Amino acid sequence: MRRYLADQVVSAGRIRRKQPASKTPEITHSANEKAGQSLTGWRFNLLGILFLFAGVMVIVQLVRLQFSPERNEFVSQGEQYSRTLHIFYPPRGDIYDRWGRLLAGSTLVYEVGVQVGDVVNADTVAFALSKVLVDHPEYDYPEYYDEVFSVIHKAQISGTAYVQLADFVTPQELTQLQEWARNYANLPNVDYGEAGQPSLDGLVYRPRLQRYYPEDELGANILGFVNREGTGMFGVEAEFNDLLAGAPQSVWMTLDPYQVSEIPQLKAGADLVLTIDREIQATAEEVLNNALDDSGADGGVILVMDPNTGEMLAIATTPRLNPNEYWNYASVFTDNTPYNRAISQDYEPGSVFKVLTMAAALDDGAVTLDTEFVDTGSIQIGGITIHNWDWGAWGPQNMEGCLAHSLNVCLTWVASELGAGPFYQYLQDFGFGRTTGIDLASEAPGRLKLPGDTDWYEAELGTNSFGQGIAVTPIQMVMAISSVANGKGEMMMPHVMRSLVRDGFQYTPTPQVMGQPISEDTAHTLTELLARSLEGESSDALVEGYRVAGKTGTAEIATPTGYSTSETNASFVGWGPVDNPRFLVYVWLEKPQSSPWGSVVATPVFREMVERLVVLMDIPPDGVLQGLSDY
Amino acid sequence: MIGVILLILVCAAIVAGIYLNVTARAAAVGRQIQEMQVRVYGYHYLTSDEGDGIVPIEELEQKIANLTSQLANLTSYQVMQERVKDLNLEPIDAEHIQYMEVPGYIDRQTTSLAPPPEPIVVNAYSIDPQFKESLFDWVVNQVNLAARYFNEVQP
Repeated sequence: MRRYLADQVVSAGRIRRKQPASKTPEITHSANEKAGQSLTGWRFNLLGILFLFAGVMVIVQLVRLQFSPERNEFVSQGEQYSRTLHIFYPPRGDIYDRWGRLLAGSTLVYEVGVQVGDVVNADTVAFALSKVLVDHPEYDYPEYYDEVFSVIHKAQISGTAYVQLADFVTPQELTQLQEWARNYANLPNVDYGEAGQPSLDGLVYRPRLQRYYPEDELGANILGFVNREGTGMFGVEAEFNDLLAGAPQSVWMTLDPYQVSEIPQLKAGADLVLTIDREIQATAEEVLNNALDDSGADGGVILVMDPNTGEMLAIATTPRLNPNEYWNYASVFTDNTPYNRAISQDYEPGSVFKVLTMAAALDDGAVTLDTEFVDTGSIQIGGITIHNWDWGAWGPQNMEGCLAHSLNVCLTWVASELGAGPFYQYLQDFGFGRTTGIDLASEAPGRLKLPGDTDWYEAELGTNSFGQGIAVTPIQMVMAISSVANGKGEMMMPHVMRSLVRDGFQYTPTPQVMGQPISEDTAHTLTELLARSLEGESSDALVEGYRVAGKTGTAEIATPTGYSTSETNASFVGWGPVDNPRFLVYVWLEKPQSSPWGSVVATPVFREMVERLVVLMDIPPDGVLQGLSDY
Repeated sequence: MIGVILLILVCAAIVAGIYLNVTARAAAVGRQIQEMQVRVYGYHYLTSDEGDGIVPIEELEQKIANLTSQLANLTSYQVMQERVKDLNLEPIDAEHIQYMEVPGYIDRQTTSLAPPPEPIVVNAYSIDPQFKESLFDWVVNQVNLAARYFNEVQP
């Protein structure tokens, strides 16, 4: 009780003590409390049921989606936004000449476009591009400004994310664009009216490698070119496109940083080392250009081959295209002119073919060097009469005389002595009528009519013997004559690829022997015979200090109305030094104007080429070599 | 009881924290890698500053290829001929060349950009690994092969 009282006298302003626990049961409103508890429990239960229901519905929906027909579509949509497909192209392999000088490499170019959403001023973008690319060969037309503006405007309307505006932009042009962009970015932020603030925001670029030919036109007919799509066209670029280009790899690149993967190490394209010698190629092209200027010929070919291996040291033809400007192809190669005449254009070779006719007859034993033939100026074969080039009769001749004077009548007789069967068998053995297999694209097989063909007549035996009525390519002639020139009778396959560099190793194929159409003795005998005939005629082909063998050729050109006497194919084939052959040179001038004769227009070209060739190839004169061997 | 629950919660929180830390760093590194990939194969803004010192190998290879071509252009036949003219040099004729015998002289060799392939040495006495592997090795190999197969199948 006292405690109770004491508790009652707590002064005002003090904190009231907590009431002691009373043993007396407190009066509670149990009915209300129960009602409240039941109310709260009901709400919680309802909430719980709702959450449970929602959870179950989510699970049901997940399960339903997993087994719904739209599942695949949803999955593909998801994948579409979670990853992107990239195709990675390895760098294209380089091409070198035989001494390692770069003939075809790569250079940086840029693709320029806009991220449409970031573009602030389309007019500025169009203006800058049209001004900077004013000298670019693809964008130098006046409508380019309007096109750029229109493309951006349409993209903005359609909601396109990115559009390309220019390609193959050079580093210099890109630098200019970057300067423009910086200048615009530094402009004061003032009111520019309706034109809006000038800005190149949104303009983006992407670097990539493009084929580049540092020598421009030099060797262009051998190399070919790479088009916009990155595909090799003509020449080595087309023939070895798969090797040079390497294998592109397609990779799905995820946008999820947790799943980012390494970009695959691309296997670069193989490098090629050619048999071509840049200096000899340049010399051959220069000599050919001079020959065309001097003779007025429509076109021409100079081939330089190592007859011991079949390696092509130079292939000079006309016309030539600068492969860095391959878009000029149609204007350079008009009237179905082949990209490389040496392998793609067949023609009637004329008297240079007599070398092969004589080789066949000597090898077969149908004639010997001492066989005599009395030239009466004409001969009948297959119902036609064959005459000599001068319509004259040269009287008694041995085989050296027949070749030295290039007597059609004599060679027709030689072929008839040999017989059609053996003659055409030899021609097939020499590789005529089919491609040589040279590793350049677009080789033509020529045409060799054989006995039994519907369009073969007996007269063909006579005309074919001196190189008329037969269609051959210069490379076929070079391959066939290599069997004579190397002194072994082995016909070497012409080729331009010396080595292939791949996976860190250099692979050098062995030169291929295409066959041995004639014996070693025949090759020696014929070479000696031709060398003597040049010396006997004091030919323009003779090179001081060096003994060479060779033969001229003048072929009439077939027209729809018959053979033209005013238009000819003038040619010369020669090789040397006779004792140790190092080169085989073939010259062909098409329709020369200054003179129709090969001996007049083609022979001096051979001599000029050889005079420079012996210096470039470090070939000492015969006398020097003889002195060294004596020493 | 409460202590045990708290201990479990604390452990779970630590594990979650470590997990978050590791995944956050992985994401950051993943983004860096993606940015580098974009730098090599993606688009660049004209005013962007890319001088961060890290240059991808592919970009370096592109620059090397470009410089190699520039060098080839500077030493091309035409350019060299112009330099010859500027120096008043003339090509020599065959008549003016003096030859001498140099014992041991090796003729000029064609270019070699790489070594020739090494010959493959086949040891006829070597035993095929399949004949030496244990059952356990065989099972492990099969599992690895299967795993590799499924990895390749994935896009």
